Amino acid sequence: MIPELGHIILITHLILCLIGGTMPLLAEYTGRKIFQIPIKKLSVFLFLLISISFLSLVYSFLVDDFSVAYVAQNSNINLPDYYKLAATWGAHEGSLVLWILAMNVWIMGFLFLTHAKDRAFLASVFSISCQVMFAFSLFTLFTSNPFERILPIPPLNGADLNPSLQDIAFTVHPPLLYFGYSGLLIPFAIAVSAMLFSTETKEWAGYSRPWTLFSCSFLTLGIGLGSWWAYYELGWGGWWFWDPVENAAFVPWLLSVALFHSLITSQNRGIFGRWSILLSIFAFATSLLGTFLVRSGILTSVHAFALDPERGLFILGILAFFIIGSLTIYSIKDFEHGEAKAYALTSKEFGFLLNNLLLVVLAVSILFGTIFPLIYEAVTNGKQISVGAPYFEIILFPFAIGLGLLQGVALYLSWGKSTSFNFLPRLLIESASIFVLIILVLFILFDNLYLNSFATIFLASWIAVGTLQVSKKRNLGYWDFLRKRLSVTLAHLGMAILVLGVGVVSSYSLEKEIILAPDDSIEFGGQIVKFESIENSLGPNYFSKKAVISFDDGKELSNLITEKRTYSPSGQLTTEAGIEAEFFKDLYISMGDNLKDDIWSFKIQIKPFIRWIWLGAIMISLGSFLAGMNQIRRSI
Amino acid sequence: MNPIRKQRLYALIAILLGSLLATWLVVSALSENMNLFYSPTEMKEANIKQNVLIRAGGMVKPGSIIKSTDSLNVSFTVTDYQNELVINYQGILPDLFEENAGVVVRGNLGSDGNFNAIEVLAKHDENYMPPEVAKLIDNKK
Repeated sequence: MIPELGHIILITHLILCLIGGTMPLLAEYTGRKIFQIPIKKLSVFLFLLISISFLSLVYSFLVDDFSVAYVAQNSNINLPDYYKLAATWGAHEGSLVLWILAMNVWIMGFLFLTHAKDRAFLASVFSISCQVMFAFSLFTLFTSNPFERILPIPPLNGADLNPSLQDIAFTVHPPLLYFGYSGLLIPFAIAVSAMLFSTETKEWAGYSRPWTLFSCSFLTLGIGLGSWWAYYELGWGGWWFWDPVENAAFVPWLLSVALFHSLITSQNRGIFGRWSILLSIFAFATSLLGTFLVRSGILTSVHAFALDPERGLFILGILAFFIIGSLTIYSIKDFEHGEAKAYALTSKEFGFLLNNLLLVVLAVSILFGTIFPLIYEAVTNGKQISVGAPYFEIILFPFAIGLGLLQGVALYLSWGKSTSFNFLPRLLIESASIFVLIILVLFILFDNLYLNSFATIFLASWIAVGTLQVSKKRNLGYWDFLRKRLSVTLAHLGMAILVLGVGVVSSYSLEKEIILAPDDSIEFGGQIVKFESIENSLGPNYFSKKAVISFDDGKELSNLITEKRTYSPSGQLTTEAGIEAEFFKDLYISMGDNLKDDIWSFKIQIKPFIRWIWLGAIMISLGSFLAGMNQIRRSI
Repeated sequence: MNPIRKQRLYALIAILLGSLLATWLVVSALSENMNLFYSPTEMKEANIKQNVLIRAGGMVKPGSIIKSTDSLNVSFTVTDYQNELVINYQGILPDLFEENAGVVVRGNLGSDGNFNAIEVLAKHDENYMPPEVAKLIDNKK
């Protein structure tokens, strides 16, 4: 009964979304009271409906209702309860319901926290969001119904959740990403509504800013968690693979960062209005495109979603509808030419322009590399290629340098024209000193200097000094600093820390594949690595070989445990890496193959500063979230 | 020049320079990092230069996996059910590598006609197969 309840409620949600997607707009255009509906109340009601629908799916998982096909495919009696809950969004169907739920949360939040006088504008934002939710609900019900039953004879047990997804980080990674992706709905709906109702640039940019920031915050955290998960769960110590699905999240992230910077200019100066509208449309478009790439399975990726061209076409249809629709409005809209304001090359405005240029061109280049195999296949009649990671690294490097250099000076710039550049000598001297200091620390820690890390280390120091100096120069009181500067300081400093982590880990990492028998040892990166013991062990839904490996650097002895698990019933193997996480480096070992008897191959790695990448991501995420909260607080 | 025009000019120059740089980067990076995919049959037909980085793939032939017991050397045969290709690899194989499963390798063709892999990618779960391999199997059936 419960799954049917969820199903019917999902259908109700669909129908109400159709009403919400049309009536408020009709009311504004015809001016007839009969079409008016209470949008705030409807948004709450829609939220309740989709929550109940989602919870009934969760319930089906928790009680092992294997007559529901989706549960049967993604759960198992022996699966721990916590993972049964996470399995709800472990595959395509359930994650769509979560996605709609996320969109619903955002639109509800927007309606309750935005204090716009213009009722028509609010009604329009709500209507457009409802249209998007309607499309997603339709998609869910027609191509990916999670409540479908296997009748008359349901299986006695389920096929199990993909073992590599049975993990703490994984359980939170998808929801965060979905909230990030779907958050871009609000700027999109605002941009379209601003066009429909000719809202003033300064005004709508102000409404849009917090939601773009929230979306960016969730995306950052989601991507960061995904990177962390891949690092320890896939077992090979990489933290970014330039996989199509990673790129599909990275591109909207870049655009969301570009967008909220552009919105700052729009809100404060009333310029870049049309540009911000286009960016809002494309940020949302790339988040849909990401979904399309992941769900259609047309690109080789490590992400496991069953392939289904029909779903791909449906998403492509949704994408085409909203993008062509909004771009049509854009092209026929008669934009009022606002008063153009002059700004000099040294102005904050020009800084933001460069920031947007770099971010957007970078996003386009990455997107191009990601979908190029599809273009190539279409043009050459089925010839298949892949674009390797070096492509993306070559592209990223010059843009990262440009963005980093800009970020270091950006906060000093003033609107209109910057008159004084006396900050430059201090900035140079201080960042040079920090640079030397970091190099020294690295030399003491790892006994080595790598020239190819110098550029990124300098960049990190440059950004950090630029950020901290400006915050200091403002001479704000403690309380004012917390309210006004903490968010930007946190986010920009986070970027510095992330850049430093990336620079160090990509040049100072050591790795080696070795063969060891019990009691064998080997010297590696100043450590004596010894294969202590191996034993069999039994988990709730798997059995495993557990190897204990000790690392001895002469001062400290650490024991790392790595496992090779065989999950039942799928029989799938997974490797659990043994990791000793320290502030400055990770020791990392993962089990390879059994050669004979108790002789195994292992991959050992030392990953300096890898934690700093995720620390940076957390700071960026927190910073942008705080900035969003500040925006909302100011508007109230 | 009036300030508004001047500022538009600057913006235009910045955009042009940015796009030019990006286009040049994209084209040069792409030409160096584009790996063509070959099935064992295509590998026989095409005249492939040695030492060029390419990708190959197919199903792992049952009974063809030969693992060394004292080194990380491994060799196996992939098939598209018409032709076969022997792959040599040194390193740890992914967890999902097994007989009768789809696999994609990256590397180059050796002088002996065998493929020297520097990377082995196996399918990610039960339902999933690299699209290249899935297409290959579909065509040959």
